[in-house]
Amino acid sequence: MLNLFEREKLDLQSLSPSDTAINVEGLNLWFGKKQVLNDISMKIPKHRITALIGQSGCGKSTLISSFNRMNDLVDGCRYLGKVEIDGRDINHSRENVARLRASVGMVFQRPNPFPMSIYENVCYGLKLQGMSLRRTLDDSVEQALRDAALWEEVKDRLFEPANILSGGQQQRLVFARALALQPDILLLDEPTSALDPLTTLYIEELMISLKKRCTVIIVTHNMQQAARVSDYTAFIHQGELIEYADSDSLFTMPVKKQTEDYITGRYG
Amino acid sequence: MRQVKLNNHISGKFNIELENLRNSVLTMGGEVEQQMVDTLRAIKENNAGLAEKVVLNDLKINAMEVQIDEECMRIIAKRHPTATDLRLVLTIAKATTDIERIGDEIERIAKLVTKHNLPVSETIKSSMLSIGEHVVAMMRGTFNAFARQDEQAALNVYEQDNRIDRQYKSLLSYTSQEMRQYPELMEDWLEILWALRSLERVGDRCKNICEYVVYLAGGSDVRHASIESMQQKIDDLAQ
Repeated sequence: MLNLFEREKLDLQSLSPSDTAINVEGLNLWFGKKQVLNDISMKIPKHRITALIGQSGCGKSTLISSFNRMNDLVDGCRYLGKVEIDGRDINHSRENVARLRASVGMVFQRPNPFPMSIYENVCYGLKLQGMSLRRTLDDSVEQALRDAALWEEVKDRLFEPANILSGGQQQRLVFARALALQPDILLLDEPTSALDPLTTLYIEELMISLKKRCTVIIVTHNMQQAARVSDYTAFIHQGELIEYADSDSLFTMPVKKQTEDYITGRYG
Repeated sequence: MRQVKLNNHISGKFNIELENLRNSVLTMGGEVEQQMVDTLRAIKENNAGLAEKVVLNDLKINAMEVQIDEECMRIIAKRHPTATDLRLVLTIAKATTDIERIGDEIERIAKLVTKHNLPVSETIKSSMLSIGEHVVAMMRGTFNAFARQDEQAALNVYEQDNRIDRQYKSLLSYTSQEMRQYPELMEDWLEILWALRSLERVGDRCKNICEYVVYLAGGSDVRHASIESMQQKIDDLAQ
């Protein structure tokens, strides 16, 4: 039978290790006595965009923060279960957290450029890693800014302070800073919520273009954004993974009633 | 002529999705047009095998309708199209239903050929083929107008249905005379009447699609309007 529309639909349950960017198995997480994540198991496919949606406080930011151990910085955080990247448990005591965070980059809600030049912002992480050769740094900065679709706008003012850039440009600069380290995984925590709708669309295009290079995981309150950009979507409610499927299915025919209620605005 | 530009969204993926959706309708339209050409050939050559192929091929057209509907729903759910994009998706969803029904009408005619029930006399056969040729031309014109989003071309095609209606009425009147002469062939006559009706209905379906093309190109709903009023609306859009 003729197939008019090509659609990929990976079997997320039985994703092979080579196609899996992150394998979460029975992840439970507590902040003090409060359990924030409850027995989450999911396989996040490589080179795809996976969106985490859910109500405020449902645990989605905590979940992506557990992919680069940002939760370690929170007092009283403890966890049970596994988060595997490339087959190794990143919560293992021998895990090199600095290296982990270089390979699992993160971009936050508000653009947070460092109070230094555009150039210095992008090569900051590289310098921390010990890269000092000017030529190599120049090339890396240019490539990262190109990847973040910012090069053409800033190439003539690389040494001007980053804070003169607009909000959208600053956010792309933060993307470039993360991309300079050539991460395998990019975590985006509400990356466009402080931006105007048009700039948001440009950032979304950037995310889609980044799929070729890395796996993108985005936390968003904006369901329309999740629907637009993501290949796969997970709906989280009160720390539990309610439904995790390809975005086409989840936004047209969700299986669970809770998901249906949430995406149709009947929640609560 | 004003065209809905499909390729100037910030989202490249959305551009591709809309382009693919539009192309899918043209693919479906091309299939249905070929079905009609094959059916006319089957009538002309009394070729039951070819008619059988047409009947089977209708399953493919049905499947296309389902796929296009699903894609329209997916785009509405995921992209929240507005303005021209929304009109395009709605137009396609409606046009697809009409194209599928055209497929059903053609299948009905082809089924009669498979039973060697068509047509009883050479006069009816040649008149039917003549109507069929005009219907094919109308289908072709409809899909071309859709592809180019050309509301004036759509209106020109729309008007062609009058000729098909005249031919249909004239053939109907001839057939009823024949029926009176050969009442013992009543079952065959009924089948022929159904086939003629189906042929005429294809023209009506094309008219519907032409109305959607005017709506798509200019945002003006011309359903249930007279041709003069449609022309006036198109002229207004051009100004």
